[in-house]
Amino acid sequence: MDLSGKHYKAFVDRQDALKKQYGPKHAEKQHSKGKLTAQERISLLFDPGTFEELDAFVTPANQPVEFGTVERTYGDGVIVGHGKVNGRLVFGFAQDFTVMGGSLGYVHAKKIAKIQEMALKMGTPIIGMMDSGGARIQEGVASLSGYAAIFHNIIQSSGIIPQLCVIMGPAAGGAVYSPALTDFVFMVNHTSYMFVTGPNVVKEVLNEDVTSEELGGAEVHGRKSGVAHMIYDDEENTILALKKFLAYLPSNNVENPPVVADDGLTPDVNEKLRDIVPDDPNKAYDVKDIIQLIVDKNSFFETAELYAPNLVTGFGRLKGKTIGIVANQPKVLAGVLDIDSSTKGARFIRFCDAFNIPILTLEDVPGFLPGTDQEHAGIIRHGAKLLFAYSEATVPRITIILRKAYGGAFIVMNSKSLGGDFSFAWPTAEIAVMGPDGAVAILYRKELASSKNPKELKKELVKKYRDKVANPFIADESGYIDEVIDPAVTRKKIVSAFAALNNKWVKVPARKHGNMPL
Amino acid sequence: MPIDKLNIKKLYALSSENKRFCFPQPLKHSIRIGKREYEVKLKADDKYGTYVLWKNRKYPVEIIRSRQNKYEILFNDISYTFTVETPFSMRRMKMLSSTRGKVEKEVLRAPMPGKIIDVMVREGSTVLRGEPLLILEAMKMQNEIQSPVNGKVIKVLAKANTNVLKDDILVEIKVE
Amino acid sequence: MKIKRILIANRGEIAVRIIKTAHRMNIETVAIRTAVEPDAMFHSLADIVYDDTEDISEIPVFLNIEKLIEIALKTKSDAVHPGYGFLAENAYFAQKCIENNIVFIGPSPDALYKMGNKTIARRIALAAKIPMAIGSDGNIGDEEEAVTVAEKIGYPVIIKAASGGGGRGMRIVRKSEEMEKMFIIASKEAEKAFNDPSVFIEKYIENPKHIEFQILGDTKGNIIHLGERECSIQRKHQKLLEEAPSMALNNNLRKKMGKIAVQIASAVNYYSAGTVEFLLDSEKNFYFMEMNTRIQVEHPVTEVITGIDLIEQQIRIANGEMLKFRQEEIKFKGWAIECRINAEDVQAGFAPDPGKIEKLSLPTESCVRVDTGVQAGSSIIASFDSLIAKLIIKGKDRKDAIRNCKMALDKVWIKGTKTTLPFFRMLVRNPKFLDGSFTTAFIEKDLDKFYLNSEYEEMLAAWLATKLFVEENLSSNSINVDFENGKKLSPWLLNKRINQF
Repeated sequence: MDLSGKHYKAFVDRQDALKKQYGPKHAEKQHSKGKLTAQERISLLFDPGTFEELDAFVTPANQPVEFGTVERTYGDGVIVGHGKVNGRLVFGFAQDFTVMGGSLGYVHAKKIAKIQEMALKMGTPIIGMMDSGGARIQEGVASLSGYAAIFHNIIQSSGIIPQLCVIMGPAAGGAVYSPALTDFVFMVNHTSYMFVTGPNVVKEVLNEDVTSEELGGAEVHGRKSGVAHMIYDDEENTILALKKFLAYLPSNNVENPPVVADDGLTPDVNEKLRDIVPDDPNKAYDVKDIIQLIVDKNSFFETAELYAPNLVTGFGRLKGKTIGIVANQPKVLAGVLDIDSSTKGARFIRFCDAFNIPILTLEDVPGFLPGTDQEHAGIIRHGAKLLFAYSEATVPRITIILRKAYGGAFIVMNSKSLGGDFSFAWPTAEIAVMGPDGAVAILYRKELASSKNPKELKKELVKKYRDKVANPFIADESGYIDEVIDPAVTRKKIVSAFAALNNKWVKVPARKHGNMPL
Repeated sequence: MPIDKLNIKKLYALSSENKRFCFPQPLKHSIRIGKREYEVKLKADDKYGTYVLWKNRKYPVEIIRSRQNKYEILFNDISYTFTVETPFSMRRMKMLSSTRGKVEKEVLRAPMPGKIIDVMVREGSTVLRGEPLLILEAMKMQNEIQSPVNGKVIKVLAKANTNVLKDDILVEIKVE
Repeated sequence: MKIKRILIANRGEIAVRIIKTAHRMNIETVAIRTAVEPDAMFHSLADIVYDDTEDISEIPVFLNIEKLIEIALKTKSDAVHPGYGFLAENAYFAQKCIENNIVFIGPSPDALYKMGNKTIARRIALAAKIPMAIGSDGNIGDEEEAVTVAEKIGYPVIIKAASGGGGRGMRIVRKSEEMEKMFIIASKEAEKAFNDPSVFIEKYIENPKHIEFQILGDTKGNIIHLGERECSIQRKHQKLLEEAPSMALNNNLRKKMGKIAVQIASAVNYYSAGTVEFLLDSEKNFYFMEMNTRIQVEHPVTEVITGIDLIEQQIRIANGEMLKFRQEEIKFKGWAIECRINAEDVQAGFAPDPGKIEKLSLPTESCVRVDTGVQAGSSIIASFDSLIAKLIIKGKDRKDAIRNCKMALDKVWIKGTKTTLPFFRMLVRNPKFLDGSFTTAFIEKDLDKFYLNSEYEEMLAAWLATKLFVEENLSSNSINVDFENGKKLSPWLLNKRINQF
């Protein structure tokens, strides 16, 4: 081909036009708001030089416009393509807020749908970086159906390839279902928000004054609604964390999670583990201290840290292999289970189950949170979600009972009878139908009522109960636990237990899907 | 395809008192003072544990906590907290704080684990800097927790006769 | 020497201290092993270790009089050294020892009782015409009496516990409106700490210096003093740094105060080691506060400038020997400073930071003496105390001692807990400390920060934080992931998974 001829010139001209579209003024529009441009986000996420963009020159030029005008920009406000993240093939898209407010038009949606379909075909993860004003009003129903196609694809891929979503700007109206349907949502503090109905409509309909941040900012979704799992203060940290997070996950539901080189820095036996649970059963401690000593050094990545903090979920590594961790947190609400924590745990367990990630459960739960609030809001069926998720999971499941394990909560937290593979207990474990105070009050009601010194008698009975019933040795001796272990060797035990379960496979019942309480 | 390369040329470490330390990226194992560059190394051995070697002197160091880009470091027996920022995130921080205005709220956390013996204020109380807010008993000592600012109490989370852990939020005060 | 074996009714650094001197004197030592501290440094240094790890009673053995007597008899110990704290000033314990033919290395039960009760001590001092702060005649009965007495004395006043010190049961009251509340708080605290809610009231002397005199007496009635110690560097009545001698005293004042100290000790026929505490106001008037009837934590600074081993003297006196020195023979040479290195977080208001000492390296220069009960691997146990080591620094004069102190502090290497080292590093550079003008109000009023933020150190810490960030996020091998490994499934598994769908 003649490099000075018209064919090549046309090619170069178009490349230049695209470059001009993304000049410095375009970057400044985002930077002045403290946001990165879509290009910058892509280049942060993907390994340098590995990103191949698709459909860069697509425009909505031939789209019917119902109302108003539509800019004919190349790309139609979204960059899609594939590249390598830490050396692994990943598909991704980043919406460009500077083009028509990043609004989703027919063409924009088609681009996203295209890579969704490709990701599913290739069995690779897909990442969406959202920064969009919502549906493009001008294109009318076409943009709505564009959304629907995207949602449908997410659902078709759900549980087959990991789908992660990063909210880096507005996501309003219909746009919020993308994040809701994906596996994990990352959100940037202060410069992004999500809500179904915006503040303007709220003001109109309810006459309530509320800012976007108050209605659906990162704090709200991280802390109250649980829609966002990971919150960061700035965009770079968000994307860097996302890359770190991806390294825990397999590319699809047939593969095992990737393995990281084990630096051998974490001791298999650690006496510090003996010092964490206090002897006084009424004293709290931080279960994350225990987690940090069990997993490979610095490998614990917590998810949904701010939401339902009474249950800790997250990923960790054991000798380089990913595991999922679910742990009661005694220092928040004494570690009870409630509605929020049940749903948080259930979703996390189902994700691990879908993607072949073994689950470690650390148990110290006195029961479910009592009260009319919880009962009227349906703790019965929400608590059942956690039970269902555990029982349904066919990945290797190991439980360690650290301290309290009473009643229904004991059953729910991955007990052996639910199909848990191994159950260990620390010497501080108290396994019983009911806690000592409650049990004594019921069993010895008459004696306490007629006693001259009920307080002393209760103290004595509680001690007796603790010694006789609520200790792990009974459960151990009747086979409901596999072994009472020295806390110091916990990591060693878990590593060898998971190794034994390496090739676990359980046939799932032949049904379309169960009827999980929702 | 015009993807901008995000070249990070320097990094900032921001202390909890908003002091800024700037380091070139890629990070060198030396720090410039005046006209000279002095070598700095992070080392570890059996006798001393982890330490930093600087100007022929060893300083004991411990990485207490690292979360996202926030690091708590124990250096020669003093703990420092830093957040590490890129030039872009620094700019973003400045921009955000100027447009959003300052939310002047002082959150008082428990300096150590213990038992709340007495709470002397309630929601709406006006407090002065130095005024005692509550008594925290720890290690058989009664510690008076004083208000660090002048303001109005907006939330009291501490309750008498309850146990608290280190860093538990006790009182929130609106600075006035 | 009649005493051949001493039971140490204590632990930690004072136990090590006692063992050192006993060994020098060829006396055997018995240490007690407890369940909460089964493997401490002093256990490995003692000749005999009594195993008390099976003891499940709620009272720690060091506070259990019956148990200690039993152990002394079982181990055939001739004498008991109570150290400081615990039962060191318990008259009943001393009495019980004597009744069981065990020598109590300390003063008589009578002296312990009289000086132990601050109200009685005050009455004795009054009778002996010792200069004191005006105070209540006896213990205060209730809030109303407290207010009346306080009005008579004149504010500001200080409420003090009758049965103990160390800051507990102590409250300064400046306004009459606060008196009732403070009286109740102080009594409650005293009851909790000493099992006795009795308190009395004294005029509060503003910003005094705390000067104490070391006393030595034998059973034949000879009593001498070994000079003063400057203990004004205190926080909430806990001493942090002590020196001997004090910049505030000249020879004359020393002679005067020393004479009074000996007088008080004589009034109760005191023998063994003891300390008489005074407050010195800005006009160099001194007031008797109380007498501590035990060996004290800060005794080493006196030992350094006098060359006398106080523990040895205690043992000899308990053995019935006469004091070998006369007052005129006591000479003071040089200067000594003691820094109490505690496992406390200076940045969190000296909050205790118990934990395990992972690395410990202490200076070995000739001008530094280290008294410690811990070594690498020891645990600082929250239920005992937070003392890691006492750093005692000598110098030919104060300036020299401070210079040596700066050097010694930089040579201390402790890893595993936070320590009060940053506080001392700041203190030895503080102008008010250097010119000697500090008073007991120094820490609370004259310091707004308890440590120095050395600029270079902060910058190095910042560099380290940045290095960690770069390693975690920006370096090419920050995540060394093997994605291929996940694809290597056993055929068993792969087959099943694929056929499932």
